[in-house]
Amino acid sequence: MADVNAAPELIVTLAWRSAEIAAASSVLMLLVALAIRQYLRHEERVRARIVKLWRPLLTRIAIEETDEPPALPRLAARHRPFLMDEWNALQDAVRGSSVERLNALALRLGLDGAARQLMDSRHVGKQILAIRALGHLRDPGAWSVLEARLAAPNALVSFYVAAALVQIDAQRAMPGIMSQLAERESWPGEAMARLIVDAGTQVAGEPIRVMMLSLPPAKVPPLLPWLARVDSILANEVAVELLRRHKDDIHVVAAALLVVLEPQELPGLLHFATSADADVRKNLAQTLGRLGGPTETGLLIQLMCDRVWWVRYRAGQSLLKLLGTDRLTLDTLRSQLSDPYSLDMFEHVCAERATA
Amino acid sequence: MSLRAVIEGVQWMFLAYFVLLDLIYLGLSCVALFGLRRYMGGVSAAERVYSHLQMPVSLIVPAYNEGATIATSVRALLQLRYQHFEVIVVNDGSKDETLAVLQREFELHPFPEAYRVQIRTQPVRGIYRSLKHPNLRVIDKHNGGKADSINAGINAARYPLFYAGDADSVLEPNSLARVVRPFLEDPHMVACGGTVRIINGCMVRGGVVEQVRLPRNPLALVQVVEYLRAFLGGRIGWSAINGMLIVSGAFGVFHRETVVAADGFRADAIGEDMELVVRLHRKLSGQGRRYRIAFIPDPVCWTEVPEDLGTLGRQRRRWHRGLAESLWSNRGLCFARHSGTAGWLAFPYFVLFELLSPVVEIGGLVIMGLAFALGIMSISSFLAFLAAAFALGVMLSTTALLLEELSFHTYPKARHLAVLFAVGVLENFGYRQITSFWRLQALCAWLIGRPVEWGVMKRKADWLR
Repeated sequence: MADVNAAPELIVTLAWRSAEIAAASSVLMLLVALAIRQYLRHEERVRARIVKLWRPLLTRIAIEETDEPPALPRLAARHRPFLMDEWNALQDAVRGSSVERLNALALRLGLDGAARQLMDSRHVGKQILAIRALGHLRDPGAWSVLEARLAAPNALVSFYVAAALVQIDAQRAMPGIMSQLAERESWPGEAMARLIVDAGTQVAGEPIRVMMLSLPPAKVPPLLPWLARVDSILANEVAVELLRRHKDDIHVVAAALLVVLEPQELPGLLHFATSADADVRKNLAQTLGRLGGPTETGLLIQLMCDRVWWVRYRAGQSLLKLLGTDRLTLDTLRSQLSDPYSLDMFEHVCAERATA
Repeated sequence: MSLRAVIEGVQWMFLAYFVLLDLIYLGLSCVALFGLRRYMGGVSAAERVYSHLQMPVSLIVPAYNEGATIATSVRALLQLRYQHFEVIVVNDGSKDETLAVLQREFELHPFPEAYRVQIRTQPVRGIYRSLKHPNLRVIDKHNGGKADSINAGINAARYPLFYAGDADSVLEPNSLARVVRPFLEDPHMVACGGTVRIINGCMVRGGVVEQVRLPRNPLALVQVVEYLRAFLGGRIGWSAINGMLIVSGAFGVFHRETVVAADGFRADAIGEDMELVVRLHRKLSGQGRRYRIAFIPDPVCWTEVPEDLGTLGRQRRRWHRGLAESLWSNRGLCFARHSGTAGWLAFPYFVLFELLSPVVEIGGLVIMGLAFALGIMSISSFLAFLAAAFALGVMLSTTALLLEELSFHTYPKARHLAVLFAVGVLENFGYRQITSFWRLQALCAWLIGRPVEWGVMKRKADWLR
């Protein structure tokens, strides 16, 4: 029989130490978890108290015009973020003189200073709270603090900074925002479109046109759809120009086809039906349905035989758009379709429309 | 070599393995902690920005003999708070009345769909469209398994993203909007998973979890802690470094074109969800494509877990076999050039600490137990190693509980926390060993090529009201 104490002391000691450290860490983490639970519960109670006390007061200040400033309850400095959150929510909802009155109140309470302090917080939520507050305050003094964070790696932080800069001075903010828009893929396009619409396209129009036409082609496709939502006429002008400049870039062409608005541009686009890229053919099929007339049905029937399902589908939808619902016309067309794929797709889109 | 030297070697290996494994888990938990704090900090701001932006999603629901629950599941999906989505139920040649129930409940009519086959599947018998819900279609096909059904659903899907879930899972109403958000934020996102939590014991009404409660069944209770550990610790950590090798089959959203280009789910794979994700890593990194596979913790899908040892054992054996197959069939990812964290960290980790862990755990216990029984090892040494293994296990469970407290507080009462902590301690006495044993069985069965035992997942569905 081997030695009963075969295990050397060192390894046994190490095993015991590991167990002790792990057990102690577990107990400590459990205590921390319980403490966090208590702390969060306390925070929730404080927030609820502040909301209950301040919400009616903030609402009254927002809607009532009085010469005399109202008496305000005491607010501890550490509770300012809770109030700032309420104040931001109300600012999002009001316009005109209410904004001024809420801003005056914020200055009385020192929310501007609190917001500047929170800008340095490592907590993203607190940073965004502060950025929104500084935007609502429309304080030109906060410009440099905000502008420095326009290129922040966090997409949400930089997006809210852009929104705040637009609130302070839309004209001045546009060049910086446009250059960021071209640089970063992480900004939510639709939300940016809304932001620029809110800023007014008379402010944004020219910088957008300049930026779009000077961008490398690879950057253009994701930006065109939101431009169409900001200003469809401007988007059409930009798209036509891009189609002229980059007619061999399939990504630019595919994106531009979807925002062209003018039927007179159509003859210049028909040759894209033979493009090697399916997206281009698909988008052309859509454009034909949007801008075309009876003369385009021949090309659409041809696209219904395409090898790609989506091209056939969009061509089928466009055909129905152009032909209407007349049964005789549809039956005539059906009899002309000899390709089984196009016939399948024709039945599909007809049935889809019938059950829509 | 003397017996003493062998025992000593085994002891060192056993201790080093556990300490290393726990250090990795702790490291992942630390990454998860920072990731969670950053994520939770921006959640409400992100929801404000993205509230009107939602990419259209096709929800694919494979169904095989789900006649009893399919109508409720589909109704719950149709109630999701989401702007643009379609539901595609794939009836996988059910032998019960699944199709008849769907036809009756949702006024299905045959639809002459121009169905395109981008991924080969078992033949489709018919396609139906609901007159009540324009965004509901049903594909009736010959039986081919879950992966084959999802592939048929992918063929029929119209939207750029698809969700592949189980017919018996319950999605929280806002979970789809949340799991899709990473695709809006990052154009290189190809797959994203959310947290799966355990529904046993909860109260569900109208397809929505109304009251979160802990299950009464001890087996289900242990799995609550297991799931917390897996999702809150491991996956958030791996996601932060783009090393996610698994997106749960119960709750994952994928970029359709990328999956089609990778030939869809493998119909012959047992763990088809993991196999696809590992394959995506292998193919995309091989092509030098920039991509991301992520996990975000707050979209939640609730699922029922087994409450008896037989079903649980079959499930774990199947999972482990799936793990072995997924890693083996995609072994080219391991240490491949440009394979990044997935190939250089996650893959070796999964081989060493997931695939081979039952060998080390059971092997170590057996060798030490034998050494102790034969008098080769002293009682103090034996106890020291057991204590180390158990205490490190408890520490991991407690880390997951701490992460849960720092983020979601899903379980509302302090008593819940205490119960979960106690379960985290008790699972080390029996449960951990038996699951390791099942996994070891699965590994051996895979090595000798024994066929997989499928069995039937016994569902009580007593949470359904």
